Order: sequence, then structure tokens, then C-alpha cells
Amino acid sequence: MDHLKLTRILVLLGMVLMLLMPGVSAHRVYVQEQITEVEIKAWFGGGDPMPNADVSVYAIKNGEEELYIEDRTDSNGLFYFTPKLGVSEYRVVVSESGHKSEKTFNLAGGSAAETENAELPLSASVVAGFGYIIGIAGLALYFSSRKSKGQ
Amino acid sequence: MHISDGVLSFSVVAAGWAITLVLSALILWRCKYKYDMAEQIPKISIITGTFFVASLIHISIGPTSVHLLLNGLMGVVLGVFAFPAMLVGLTLQAFLFQHGGITTIGANNVIIGIPALISYWTFRFGYRKGINVAFMGALCGALGILLSGIFLAFILISTGEEFREVAYAALIAHLPVMVIEGIITGSVVSFLLKVRPELLPVDTEV
Repeated sequence: MDHLKLTRILVLLGMVLMLLMPGVSAHRVYVQEQITEVEIKAWFGGGDPMPNADVSVYAIKNGEEELYIEDRTDSNGLFYFTPKLGVSEYRVVVSESGHKSEKTFNLAGGSAAETENAELPLSASVVAGFGYIIGIAGLALYFSSRKSKGQ
Repeated sequence: MHISDGVLSFSVVAAGWAITLVLSALILWRCKYKYDMAEQIPKISIITGTFFVASLIHISIGPTSVHLLLNGLMGVVLGVFAFPAMLVGLTLQAFLFQHGGITTIGANNVIIGIPALISYWTFRFGYRKGINVAFMGALCGALGILLSGIFLAFILISTGEEFREVAYAALIAHLPVMVIEGIITGSVVSFLLKVRPELLPVDTEV
């Protein structure tokens, strides 16, 4: 009987020690992703890059904008910058003698306000444009014919 | 040559709209009595359609990308109607192709439309002097682009850009466009004079 009791105590002791062990031997570990470079691409409608255009990067923190970097795109219309530590939201403005576009984005992944509208396919735009022109011509012809009838 | 939204200050945008709307209304009002509009409208529509899609033709020579404007051709073929017709074309380009801004349609119409009018008057002057028509057409086609570059630089002064720098850059970039549009305008004009000379507005006083 004593022998059995001793085994029980030893097993219990072992279980308690095993429970305590992880708490003693492990350190807490932190993992966080860090984006070290952001690529900005600027191009004209039709796909040609916008080289040597002015780029202004504004860092947005707690809703307040602050000019972070001002530079120019390279010959391929690309521009790279290192994000400011702790700031994940940026507004980038690219302009080149009269052409200007901007984009607000969040590196943390949350979808920021989209500044670009979804474009119609080009062929659809062309057909739509001709449709408008024919429509306007039709209206104008209607009014001019009504006027000449009235005379 | 198209200026985007957010580049110009409010007063320049407002002035652009004012000039565009007043001049368009004036032209349409005067021409109501001078022309048979039912005859003009099909021609205006065809040229406006050409202008509308011409901006999709990109020419990538050198560092910048430029597209055809055809404002010289528009002026020579449509006469003073080029200005109001351009308002239609530019509006459609802004909404459908995102070429230029929506608030800046007025300013863009001034930049592109006034050179079209000057091209027209230059062409009419040369035609009456009996100068070779193909040559005058080519000259006016290129003149439209040249003047647009200068107008663009003038308007961009208000944003703090250096006039000479912008004008220089725009004109260098548009040199190939000037050559191409000169050829297009010259051949269209000489073709029209052979086939339907009454289509060219050279005998009117507006």
C-alpha cells in the first residue's frame, strides 16, 4: 500500500512540475511585419509612364496630414520611399505640367478611400462618346428643323 | 495639353468657364443667322467625333507621351464652330477617358479652342491671298498645336510654373504632333477642296 501511495505522490509531483515548466523556460515573442519600401507608379491613360514628374508624399497620422517627402519619378515613372515608422496611411500626389493625380492608401491593408474610379473598357468609352455626339447632333437637327418649319 | 482637376486655382477655373461659355454662346447666336445649321450640324458632328477619339492616339517619341489634338484641323474645317464643338468633345473626353479634369473643361477649351480659331482665320487669310492650300493647311495644323503649347504655359504661370520652362517642354514634346497634324490637316484640306469645296468655311465672314 505504501509503495502505491509513493508512486501516486511522485506522479502528482511530476505533473505539477510539467505544468510549471513552460511558464519558466519560454520568453514572449513579438512578430510584426515592417514594410521597408513603397513603390509608386505613375502613368498616363494609355499606359505610358510619367517620367520626371513631381511626387509629394503626405503622411497621415491621426487624421492629420504632414508633408513627408517631395521628389521626382524616375525615367520609368516609378518612385520609391521608405515609410515613416508608425505611420501607415499616406496620400501621394503626382503632377507634371498640368497633369495631376493622387491616391490615398493604407499600408496596414485596410482599404483606404479609393480615389480612382473604375474605368469603362476603352472600346465602350469610344462607342459611348460617339453615341453622345450623334445624340447631340440629332437634338440640334431637331431644333433647327423645327425652327425652319415655324418660319 | 489637358489640365487635370486640382491644378488650377478657383479664379482661373472660373475665368476659363466664363470665356468658354460666353464665346460659345456668342458664336452659336451669331451663326444662327449666317449659316443653315441643318447643313452644318452633320459636318460638325463628324469632326467632333474625330477630335474626341484623336486624343487616344498616343505618340511616344522621347521622354514624354503626347497625343493628337487636331485643333488646327477642327478650326480649318469647322471655322468658328470649332470652339463650341470642342466643348462637347472635351466634356466627353473628361468623363469617358479621364483626359483632363471636369472642373478644367473651361480652361482646356480656351487652351485648345482659341488656337483653333486663330488657325481658321490664318487659313482663310492665306486662302484668299491664293497661297497653296495644302501648305496653308499643314501650317495651320501645326499652328494649332504651337499656340496651344503657348496658351498652356500662360495658364500654368498662375500655378507658379516658369513660363519659358513649360512652354519649351510642351513645344519640344509636341514637335512630332505638329508634324503629324500638319500632314493630316494639309491632306484633308486639299482633299476637301477637290471633292467638296463648299465644306470649307473660307467664303464666310464670321
